[in-house]
This record gives sequence, C-alpha cells and structure tokens, in this order.
Amino acid sequence: MKNVVLVSASPKIKEQSVSKEFLEMVGSQIDSDQFSKTFIDVRKSFLTHNLTDDFDTLARADVIIFSFPLYYFCLPGILTRFLVDYHNYVIASGNIKNHVKIYAIVNCGFPEPEINLEAVRVIKSFSQHLNAEFRFGVLIGGGAMMVAAQKAPFMKKAVQKLRSAFSSLAADIQHENSTAKDSFYIDFNFRFSRRLYYFMGSRGWITMARKNGLKTKDLYKKPYRLNE
Amino acid sequence: MQALLISDQEYLTKTYQSLNDLTGKFLRQKGFETELLELNTENLTFCMGCFGCWVKKPGECVINDQMAQINRSVMNSDVVIYLSPIVFGQFSPTIKNVIDRGLPNMLPFFETRPDGSTMHPPRYDTYPTQIIIGYGDNISDEDAQLFIDITKKHRRNVEVLIYQELTDNIIKALDTMELRRVGGLL
Repeated sequence: MKNVVLVSASPKIKEQSVSKEFLEMVGSQIDSDQFSKTFIDVRKSFLTHNLTDDFDTLARADVIIFSFPLYYFCLPGILTRFLVDYHNYVIASGNIKNHVKIYAIVNCGFPEPEINLEAVRVIKSFSQHLNAEFRFGVLIGGGAMMVAAQKAPFMKKAVQKLRSAFSSLAADIQHENSTAKDSFYIDFNFRFSRRLYYFMGSRGWITMARKNGLKTKDLYKKPYRLNE
Repeated sequence: MQALLISDQEYLTKTYQSLNDLTGKFLRQKGFETELLELNTENLTFCMGCFGCWVKKPGECVINDQMAQINRSVMNSDVVIYLSPIVFGQFSPTIKNVIDRGLPNMLPFFETRPDGSTMHPPRYDTYPTQIIIGYGDNISDEDAQLFIDITKKHRRNVEVLIYQELTDNIIKALDTMELRRVGGLL
C-alpha cells in the first residue's frame, strides 16, 4: 500500500485552520483501500518536538500534499523552517524514496488566487531539491470565506470547482506515469463584488477589535512613529 | 541617517561575509549610522497567525521577544537592508520570520494595488527604503528569478537584488537607489 502524507502548515496554535480544512477535504477523496493516509501538523510537530518522527514519516511517503496559508506572498516562516530542516535531514540520512509526488494547496485572504503562485513555485523548487516530482498546485483565493460560507448560495460554483480540483488531485496520485498538469485556480467570482468583499473584511476586523475592548480608531495606532 | 542591516547567523558563508563587508562599507561611506542585526533561530519565534497585532494591540506583535525591538528599529530607520540566503527560491527561515512578523506595520484592511490585486494598506505615512539582497552559491536561474518575483510582483516599495559572485556589482546597483524614507506604496 502506498503512503500519502498530508501536511498542514498553518501557524495558528489554538484555532482549527483553513489549511487543515482543505487538507481534510482532499484527504476524504483519497481511496483508503489503496493508500495509507497520515496527517502531519507542522505547528504541532514543533510544539511537541516530534520533528524526527515526522521526518521519518515523510521519508516513507510516496505522495506528499502540503496545505498552507500564504504569508507575504510565499511560505509562512514555520513551514520554511520545517522544509529546510527536512531537507537537511534527508541530506544527512540519505533516507528518501524515489519517485515521490508532491502537491501544494495554498490559500490566501486576498480574493485573487493567482497571488499564491510564487508560494507554489517555492514548493516546486523544494521538490526539485529533493529530486521529487512536483505535480501541481491548487491556488485558493478568499480561503477563509470559502470555508466559512461554503453552504451559501453564492459560493456554490466555487465550492464545486474546489471539490473538482481535489478530485483531480486524488485521481492524479493513482497514476504511475502522469502527464504534466496545470495548477487549479479557485475563487468565487468576486470581481463583481470586490467592494462587498472588502467591506465584509473590514467589518470582521472591527468586530474582533471591539470584542477586545478597542475602538475603531485604535486599529490605526502608530506605536513606532507617534508623530506621524 | 540611520541604516539597519538584518541577516541570518545560520548562513554566515564566505559569500555572506563579502556581501556584508561591501554593504556596510557602502552605507558608512554614504554617511549612514549602521546597525547590524545578525539573527538566529533562537531570537525569534514563529508568527502564530493570531492577528493580535491588528485587533488586540494594533501595531505591535503580542509575542514577547526581540521582534518588538526589530520592528521599532525598522520603522525608525531611513534604510533597511535584509541580507537573505536564497533557499528554495525563497528567504531563509529566520529572515522569513522577520518578514512575517513585520505584519503589525500594516493595517488589516484591503486596498487595490495599481495592478488590480489586493493588498493591506500601510499603517504609517512613511517607511524606510527597504532592500532585500538574496545571496548564495550555485543558485539556479529559476530560484533567482523566483526570489525576485516573490517581492517584485507584489510589492512596489521593496527592492530586490541578487548577490552570487564576489564582485562589487551590488554596490553599483545600490548607488542608483534613493536611500531615504519613502511613502507606503502598495
């Protein structure tokens, strides 16, 4: 039985992350009769000092799927550290399988999925440094809303597109000699409602700040340049 | 005039030493008072994605470590230069942590950039000129281009240079830049 390792790399500590939700969605579409599935949470791996065990698990993988949020147009620092340490582990131990397939699921809070492209390219570069085969990415715009409002009528098409992309991913891992495949770009046709999206985002931040006892004007504080 | 150099102790290679010497000398010749922060992985913890820097303590990270001082120094410099190893076409883990945890210096809201994409607006009226210099040995063209694209495709207020050979080309490039505080271009 082949091993699929699904790695979620949200830096969040307490809350369930959107990246994990997406990973569970894709995981549910992978045939358990054909593949053994193992989930790794990078944040937990660091918190519990479980890196070596998780690296051993990754080294046994035939397929690795990374799911993470975009941070400053590329990977979060925590995932960058994890990949660099894993690469060092592989170099030191020589412990890695051949013909490993790698996929990336990247989500961002901005509505444009294409903003995630450079993050996918970083995972591709990482794959090349491991002599693994990078297959493709699933680039998701408005990730948090995609999960929070997935049952809303205006999300129907986007959620269908997302499920279809994850089905393609689940199918792709089964093919021995897959031909090159383009990445998937998922958004919810926000273009006619960009102002609404921005408005809802702003409302969300203000509501959260008020719950913390702040006023709207407090969000604009300039602690390091008091004279500006 | 104040310049801040931020680098990564984990990658103190010969190429780094040469780059650091060149850049430091250049800044001093230009009359900058220069501070060098050589950071290591123990100095900074990872961003925890809590957004406390936006909705609990706006403008400041809620994690109690060296990052508060770094953000204060960044925001009060005229020039900030990040010397980052190029790793998988991206920043090293420690430099990426510094960049991630610069989030308090932005506002949480959304604005549209001139190219039509979305970005968080600036918190401050002015920012230091920010320059990222990626370095390494045997960097592939693909990784070098990716390193440039990560920043240049998405941020108009940050310059990116690549340093691979022990030459002073980097100084010629720096010499063409205006090294002073600038508005918060998206």
